[in-house]
Amino acid sequence: MMEQRTEKKYIIRGGACVLLLFILWMIVSDTYKKLPWRHEDVIRIGVFSDSYWEVQNGYSYQILDDAIAQFEEEHPDVRIEYVSGIIKSDYSEWLSEEIMKGTAPDVFFVPGEHFNDFAEAGALKDLTRLIENDEEFLPEKYYASAYEYGAYEGIQYALPYECAPKLMFVNKSILTAEGIGLPAKGWTWEDFYLICQKVTRDTDGNGTVDQFGTVGYTWEDAFDSNGVCLFNEKGTECYLTDKKAGTAISFMDRMEGLNNGYSVTSKEFALGNVAFQPMLFSEYRAYKSYPLSIKKYAGFEWDCLTMPAGPDGENISRLDTLTIAMSASTVHTRQAWEFMKFLTGDERIQSEIFDYSEGVSVLKEVVESEKTRKFFRESTDTGDALSLQVLSEAVERAVVIPGFHDYDEAVAEVDRAVRTILESSSNISMETIIQNRKVNTYLKSKQ
Amino acid sequence: MDRNQFPGLVLGSMKHLNMVIILYLAGVTAYSLNGYIYENSAMDFLIKAKQISVVPWKLPMLAVGLYACLLLLLSIHCKKNISFLGKTVAELGVAFFLSYVMNFSYTGIVLLIIADTMSYFSDMKRRLLLVASVCIVYLLLDYDLLSVRYPIISIEVCWEYYQRDIQSLLLGIRNVLSSLNTLAFIIYAIVLILAEVKEKERVLGLNERLHAANQELKEVNRKLEEYARESEKAAETRERNRLAREIHDTLGHSLTGIITGIDACVMLVDIAPEATREQLKAIANVARQGVKDVRRSVKALRPDALETLDLKHALIQMMEETKRSTGVDVQYEIRTGLKHLDRDEEDVVYRIVQESITNAIRHGKADRVQVRIDRSFNMLKIHLKDNGVGCSNIQKGFGLHHMEERLSMLHGSLSYHGDDGFVVDAEIPIRWGTEEESDD
Repeated sequence: MMEQRTEKKYIIRGGACVLLLFILWMIVSDTYKKLPWRHEDVIRIGVFSDSYWEVQNGYSYQILDDAIAQFEEEHPDVRIEYVSGIIKSDYSEWLSEEIMKGTAPDVFFVPGEHFNDFAEAGALKDLTRLIENDEEFLPEKYYASAYEYGAYEGIQYALPYECAPKLMFVNKSILTAEGIGLPAKGWTWEDFYLICQKVTRDTDGNGTVDQFGTVGYTWEDAFDSNGVCLFNEKGTECYLTDKKAGTAISFMDRMEGLNNGYSVTSKEFALGNVAFQPMLFSEYRAYKSYPLSIKKYAGFEWDCLTMPAGPDGENISRLDTLTIAMSASTVHTRQAWEFMKFLTGDERIQSEIFDYSEGVSVLKEVVESEKTRKFFRESTDTGDALSLQVLSEAVERAVVIPGFHDYDEAVAEVDRAVRTILESSSNISMETIIQNRKVNTYLKSKQ
Repeated sequence: MDRNQFPGLVLGSMKHLNMVIILYLAGVTAYSLNGYIYENSAMDFLIKAKQISVVPWKLPMLAVGLYACLLLLLSIHCKKNISFLGKTVAELGVAFFLSYVMNFSYTGIVLLIIADTMSYFSDMKRRLLLVASVCIVYLLLDYDLLSVRYPIISIEVCWEYYQRDIQSLLLGIRNVLSSLNTLAFIIYAIVLILAEVKEKERVLGLNERLHAANQELKEVNRKLEEYARESEKAAETRERNRLAREIHDTLGHSLTGIITGIDACVMLVDIAPEATREQLKAIANVARQGVKDVRRSVKALRPDALETLDLKHALIQMMEETKRSTGVDVQYEIRTGLKHLDRDEEDVVYRIVQESITNAIRHGKADRVQVRIDRSFNMLKIHLKDNGVGCSNIQKGFGLHHMEERLSMLHGSLSYHGDDGFVVDAEIPIRWGTEEESDD
């Protein structure tokens, strides 16, 4: 009798323990939010108020508002909300705070610079299974480069929303004055070097060089257009001693030699004293069209080209992409996924990017459509140098930045190494070997 | 009593100490995480931690909840091996989650589980096995070890929110508390082992005492057997004496009479043949009487019935048999239990009843005999009454004499009268009292 009572007592305790664990699990996993009396299909979106491309255009929420209206029409049971008024510079911090507080939006835009950080921290939901189980979803609709931007260590965490390739701005006025024609479509480093060499000179005869070839052309641009593969997949090894990288470094060395040690700033380009400056396509869009076209770069004719190709590479550059991801802790996975798909994959919404933003749609079909072609011709006055075909190709074949742990730190380390190589007076290849070893040591220490 | 309570006391204080440690860690960490959020350095923290921390308000709740779960599990005592194993695994699971919530900065909870587990087995081998496996879990729960393989935020990163000197102080307090827990565990282990050694000594002592008692018991048993043998011999001697007495009393008496008579006849045969014939007749009567006496004497030996049945049933059998063979209505009433009587007592009771019934039939010519046996205190009373002719002038025949003699051997008494039928009353002081006492 006594024994039975004790046994009963223990069973009750065990049951209480299981119940307590269940409640704790409900709270920790946020499952309690799914309880019937708390459940409402409201999807929160994390978005910033200004343009991703640092251009104020007054249409910041236009595309999102349109998308929400259409989505809600198609899905009457889902309501979509977002907090407005968070500016881009505060956005990452705001998002981090929301994530830490456990109130992360279900779907949020991820600024490219912090994509790796959020992915690494596990704040983003792994989309692999959603993609696999959704037959309607076709990854090949997107530009491969833009799509891969949403991957980290081989796992897809985000979908691309809009992108912008890096392009070469060219001051047509200088070229005309120097009697040089606009470089052809497949121009090379050699063309680039020759033009720079020609335009770098003292125009007013006061003894100092006041017209320059290029500003802001970095070793990364040279590496990208020469097909250099800088790191292995996992970021454990650096290939600075690779032949292609060596060619690029030599080219950079030659280019630097042109300016005789004078450090050119982008202000010089704005003043019309520099022939070339690499910029994002979004800037081209912003300043090419009225009213911003009169604010900056007003004193000279300018246009955009693809980047010059290296001897072992192509006319390609890297892509900056704004992606949209799902919170790892969302309880509305299905609806959030539908909305993400809608925002990034619906042609109506994506074509609005050309209307209200400065980026490029991530859908090949939209970019190459007749509507875009027409719009492009109308909004930009000439458009002769940069055809839509070129743009589409630039996006399509853009260099994909490898997503691995501590990529930014690794790049910073390589940057330091390249700078040292270029500045050193000794043999370049010798110095490259030394620096490569240093970078590799650094990478190993981070493992 | 004390030595059993002391390990429990240490275990109890370990439980309290762990509660304090968990609350302290959860509180300090939650405060620092909250600090990151409200001082706009959440992004920095995220980059530094490379991991999303538990939501600050959930942290203390989780810690307390999981600890409560653990205490519940610890309070369950399992008897079966399999359920005990299940319980230990569940405890380790909860401890793992608790450590996880604490970013593996504190794993001393496992020591609590080890301590609890240790109290279960007295079997050293199994205990060692189990404790060793739990110890392995304890060692593997180390932050530095786990963070190699899995992304875990170190508590130092969380606590970087605090100023350097405060952070050092907080970490110091954590270390002190953690060491206290380890110390408590060591004390517990020592106390437990000491208590067990004492327990073993106690059991050993008890065993020795048991052994001594056993030896004593053997000795007593042996003495008892000896006594029983002696007692049997004494009974034999008594019986032989009785036979001798009987022969002397009956056959001796008759033979004496016959010899005397025949001597007289030898003298008389020529002088008075008529008188001699008369004398010889008388002698023949004596001889007949002698034969009768011998028969009676032989009968006086222990009856068969008593050898096979207990007294009560032997009596009943005898009376029923008499009823059948003679047609006399024997009414009997036995109001007391007749067990635990000694052999001699049983014999006497049986003989008195038998003799009296025989007398009533033979001498009283009765056709109804009433027998009543009862007891007051330690006096057994036998009452016989018949409806025979009775006897106004009672001659102490052999039967009555014999009864008296038997009764006197047991210090009993006999009374009789023949006014209305014949009534015999016998009283025997029996030894039940002493018999019962020696039973205990």
